[in-house]
This record gives sequence, C-alpha cells and structure tokens, in this order.
Amino acid sequence: MTPYLLVAPPVLLLAALVIYPLVYNVVLSLRNYRTGEFVGLHNFARAFDDPLFFASLRATGVYVSWALATEILLGLALALLVHRTIRSGWARTLIYVLFFIPMVTPPVVAGVIARLMYSPNYGVINVALAKLGLIDTEILWLSEPGTAMFAVLSVDVWQWMPFVFLVCFAGLQSVPMDTVEAARVDGAGGWRLFRHVELPYLRSLLMLVVVFRFTDTFRVFDHVQVLTGGGPGASTEFLSLYLYRIAFKFFNLSYAAALSLFVLAVASVAFAVLGRYLGKEVGE
Amino acid sequence: MRRTWLVWLVVGLLLLTSTGLAAPQLPPKPAELTMAVVAGGETKGLKAILPIWQREKGVRVKLVEFPYPALYEKLVTAFQANAATFDLLIADDPWMPKFGSEQWLVPLDSTFGYVRDPDIFPVVYDLGSWPPPRGPVPPDERGKSRHLYAITLVGNVEFFMYRKDLVPAPASWNAVIANAKKVHNPSRPLYGYVIRGAKGNPVVSEFTPVLLSYGGRIFDDNWKVVLNSKQAVDALTFFAKELKRYSPPGVANYDAAERAREIATGRAAQGFIWPAEITDIVENPSVSKVVGKMGYTLAPRGPGGKHAPLIGNWLLAIPKGSKNQRWAYEFILWATSAKVQRPYAEGGGIPFRRSVLLNPAMNKKFPFFKAMADSLAAPPEWRPRTDQWFAVEAILGTHVNAALAGIETPQQAIARSASEIEKHMREAGYYR
Repeated sequence: MTPYLLVAPPVLLLAALVIYPLVYNVVLSLRNYRTGEFVGLHNFARAFDDPLFFASLRATGVYVSWALATEILLGLALALLVHRTIRSGWARTLIYVLFFIPMVTPPVVAGVIARLMYSPNYGVINVALAKLGLIDTEILWLSEPGTAMFAVLSVDVWQWMPFVFLVCFAGLQSVPMDTVEAARVDGAGGWRLFRHVELPYLRSLLMLVVVFRFTDTFRVFDHVQVLTGGGPGASTEFLSLYLYRIAFKFFNLSYAAALSLFVLAVASVAFAVLGRYLGKEVGE
Repeated sequence: MRRTWLVWLVVGLLLLTSTGLAAPQLPPKPAELTMAVVAGGETKGLKAILPIWQREKGVRVKLVEFPYPALYEKLVTAFQANAATFDLLIADDPWMPKFGSEQWLVPLDSTFGYVRDPDIFPVVYDLGSWPPPRGPVPPDERGKSRHLYAITLVGNVEFFMYRKDLVPAPASWNAVIANAKKVHNPSRPLYGYVIRGAKGNPVVSEFTPVLLSYGGRIFDDNWKVVLNSKQAVDALTFFAKELKRYSPPGVANYDAAERAREIATGRAAQGFIWPAEITDIVENPSVSKVVGKMGYTLAPRGPGGKHAPLIGNWLLAIPKGSKNQRWAYEFILWATSAKVQRPYAEGGGIPFRRSVLLNPAMNKKFPFFKAMADSLAAPPEWRPRTDQWFAVEAILGTHVNAALAGIETPQQAIARSASEIEKHMREAGYYR
C-alpha cells in the first residue's frame, strides 16, 4: 500500500494538470462549439480544408527552421570564439552577464523595443543603415512579408541565441584539456579540433538545445503579437497566433481544440525522432 | 388639547406621506460599490469625478482595473457565475450583443423606470439597448422585448482631423485628396495623410468609415454577406492605393500611437482620430508640435454622399449579480447627469451630452467637441450588432491589411473577406 501512497501525489498532480486538460481537449474537439452535439472527426477534417491553417503551418515551419539554425550556429560559433580567445575570468563573467540580459527580458518588452527599433521613420536600425550608407530609402521592416519575418526572427535570435551560447560554452569547459593538447600535438587545427574532439562532447547538449528551442519557437506568441500581430496579411501568423484567433476571436473552441491536437501530434513526432537520436547519443 | 393632538397627527402624517411621494426610498448605503473598468485613459474622467461622488453621497466607489482583453474575460466569468463581484462595469459597445443576448445586465428602464433625456444623443440609447433598435438583429434575438441596459460613459466617436493652418476642412474624400496633393512633400517630410493600418481592429476602424461612405456594407438586414460589391472594391482601392499614396511609408503596421505621433510631430496633415488620442497626444503641449494648429470635423463623405464616422463608446451598466443595484443605478444617473459631465470632461473624460459638447466655453478649451457632437448627431455607424463581430473584424482586418501592404489586390481582399465571413456566420448558425 505504501508505494501507492508515495506515488499518489505526483500521479494526482499529473492527472489534474495534464491528463484531465488533455482528455477535456479531446472531448471538446469532437463536439460542435455552439450546440455541444457530437460531430465525430468533423473538426479535424475541417483543418484539411482550411488554407489559413496550412498558411500558418508553413509560416511556423519557416520560422522554426530559421530560428533554430541561426541560434544554434551563432551560439555555437560565439561559444567557441569566447572559449578559445578569452581567458580572463572577469571578461568571461561580463560576457555571461551580458548574455543573460536578453533571456530575462520579458518577450512583450522585447517586442515593444524591437517595434521602436524597426520603425521605418525614426527607428534606430534604418537610421544606422542610412548613416553607414547602406540604404538610400527606408526599409519597411514590419509592413512587408519578407522583412516582417526577418524582424520577428531577429528578436527570437537576440533573445535565445545566448541560451545556446551558455549551454555550448559550459559543454566546452567539460572537454578534457589533455585530449585537446594531445590533438594539437598531433597537428589538429581549429576545425579538426572542433570536429573530432569538441563536437562529440557537445553533441548531446546540442540535441537538448534543439529540443528546448524547437518547443519554444513552435509556440512563439508574445513578441510576434506585439511586433506585427501576425501581419502584414497573414505572413507572420504562426500556429499559436492562428489558434488564438480561432479560440478567442472566433470563439470556436472545438476547432481550436482539434487544431491544438494536430499540433500536439506534429510536435510529438518531432520529439520522438529527436528523443530516439538523443537516446542513441547518450547511450554511445 | 385633543384637537391640538389631532392637528399634530395630521401634520405628521402629511409630512411622512409627502416625503414618501417626493422620492423613492433608497436602500441603506452600501460600504462601497465595486466597478470593473478598463485600464487606461478611458477612466481618466471617471477618476476625476469619483471624489465628488463620495463627498456628495458618502459611498465609496472602488475601481478594479483590467487590461482590455482581461476585462471582457473577467466580466463573462463573473456573469456566468452570477457572482456579486461587481456592482457596476464599463463595457466596450461591441460587447453589448453578447451581454444583451445572455441577459446578464439589469434593464434600466423596466427595473428603475429610467426616463430618456433629450440632451443625450439618441445613438447613445440605441447603443445601450438590446435587441438593437436598427439594423439586422441576430436570429435568436428576434422577437425579444427591447430594453435599455447601459448608458454611455465614454462618448468615443471617430472623426477627422486636419492641419487647419495648411488646408481647409475637407467635407468629402475628394477634398481630402485635394488637400493631400497640396501639402504632400516626403522630402520635408510632410505627408498628406496618415493611415492607422495595422492588422485587425486598427485597420478595420480606419477602413469601415470609408467603406460605408462609399455605400458598401458587410451585411444586409438578414445577415447575408453583401461585402463583395463594386462599392466595397472601390472603397478599398481608394483606401489602399489613393490614401496610401499620400501616407508615410510603413503604415500597414501603424497603430494609434504611430498615427498620433505622425500628426503631433507635424509629419502628417490629415487622418482619422479618436478623442483620447487628442487629449493625450495631439493637443498635449508637452509632446505635440501642433497644438492649436489642428482642425476637427466630421468624417468625410464618400461618393454615396454619406458621412460615416464610427462609434466606439464605453457603456456603464449594472450586472444582474450585484447586491447594490439601486445604488449602482444612482451612480449611473449621477455620473451621466449634465451637472457632472462638465467636471468629468475637465478631468480628462470624453463627454457625450449635447449641452456639454456644444458649450462655447468648453469648445474653446476642447476644440474637438463640436466635431464630436456633429459625429454623434450624424448618426455614427456602429459595428454590426452580433456577438460574432470579433471574428468578422479578424477576417476583414487580415485582408484589408494585406491589401494595404500590397500582398492582395483590393478585389482579392474583398472577395476573400466576404467568403470567409460567410463561412464563419454559417457555422455560427446565422443561416438556416
């Protein structure tokens, strides 16, 4: 009896916070949002006939791919740079502090700051580019589809690339110095040292970073809502914004529930693949 | 002796009866009234008059402030539970269809015998009544008896502003374009017009008066979507091409703050405006370069000859769950009285009474009051009275914004909006 009593609190907590909402969501997705009558898989079938849903899925795909790639490459490159070139303790501390600032900034605040910076008329970015002679006419960062996507991506990169940096930097600290020195004695240059010595130590950490960043970018909402509201048109209307629109503008909670389950399925597949790979890495 | 006693008895009875006839007895004073309000400039005037109310009536009014979306959610939650959380509330007028159809509010006419005041514009009473007295009525609401559930507190109405030192007051869209051509000089920079074009509510608030002035409509009187019309395409072509031509670059992401800033810094000459933007920014000497240079007038008329300003009042109402309904009603009567509307306006509130808006002394201090009175008398257009409005606004606001950004043509934007709105209304049970 005691083991059951011991596991009861976490099980109850899990049931209340995860299982009940999930079951409720499934039930909601099988009903008509107005009348409450059972409609089977109608809400799921509707998603396949909804071009706006696929447009938001596409936009989310673009956002997630670019954000993940940029944050990981930039974070890793910076971690390597600092690891190899900066030895002073206080300089490294200063870098940690500076890199923490974006991460502790609330996303809404980041969005407001970016909105001011990307303003076409007086925003610091256009002014700086003009002063450097790089542009003749103002770039309409937030009111054209391509540049709007870039703008919302840039905020994500600014805010979360430091997370990748800090994880990678911590990983690099764990590489044994004697292994590095042995590789150097054997004539390994910067790239080969990274490829064959440092990267194996970082691989599992990088996979964890991918999992965390994938989850975060997949459900991005706050700074995009402030910066573009999903516009212009529907060009930055990601899945989370589209779901918000269906649930809180259209009040169609049943369709929103169906879409959220669809998203859950996509995310679960992605996590299953990543988890399998990660398990293999850790096992090795 | 016996006679004197009888006289005193009669006098006493008369006194008691006359007091009873003079005014209905108010219940004992509550310790306080709790009022749900939106956080922001809308409550500036209210906060200014509350100390007067407390001094006069001896009842404290506690304001509970919520950001805009949270206020709606809190109110709906309290209503559904019939909780006595709030005695009073202020509600945005597009919420009225939901609140009215669910019968969550106390009818002011049948419960307290509210008598309409000729000093208040009829549109104010129309807004607070449910089912709506004009325009299409939602299918489930037809046949219900109409009551007055709310009275305006914040008399928000959209009107037009122009640089009176540079151009004359434009009465029509042709005159707006003529003015814009006259002053437009991006190298200065001075733009002939400024659009609040951000996706969603901002661009819909801006486009709707143009659409209606061109004779376009979203729904007919039976909720059939009639948006896909030549008038609507012409209106959007004018909006997204002609007006945009004279606007600063990037207006497809402009909200109220950006528009007010363009005007206040002297970079734009004309545009729509809501009263709060004037008091807070455009006529505020601490942030504006154009104080005294702006003129205010009715929304320009379109080819159909119609002026179509948009109304966006905040309404005072009493939830059914309130335990202090009679005192809450007393507060509504007091706050909306002619006597209190003046200190309310002077304290930064947006009044709605004819006598205050047309008062010469008040107009000297608040130069936009006459334009507000004209707009309220026009009468202004309201958003279609349906609890599906937010969905309609989200759909229209996406496509009009796309047209403004050049992603969709006006024809595509109107056709897609019409088809998506129709699909949504069908699902919402409007067509049987």
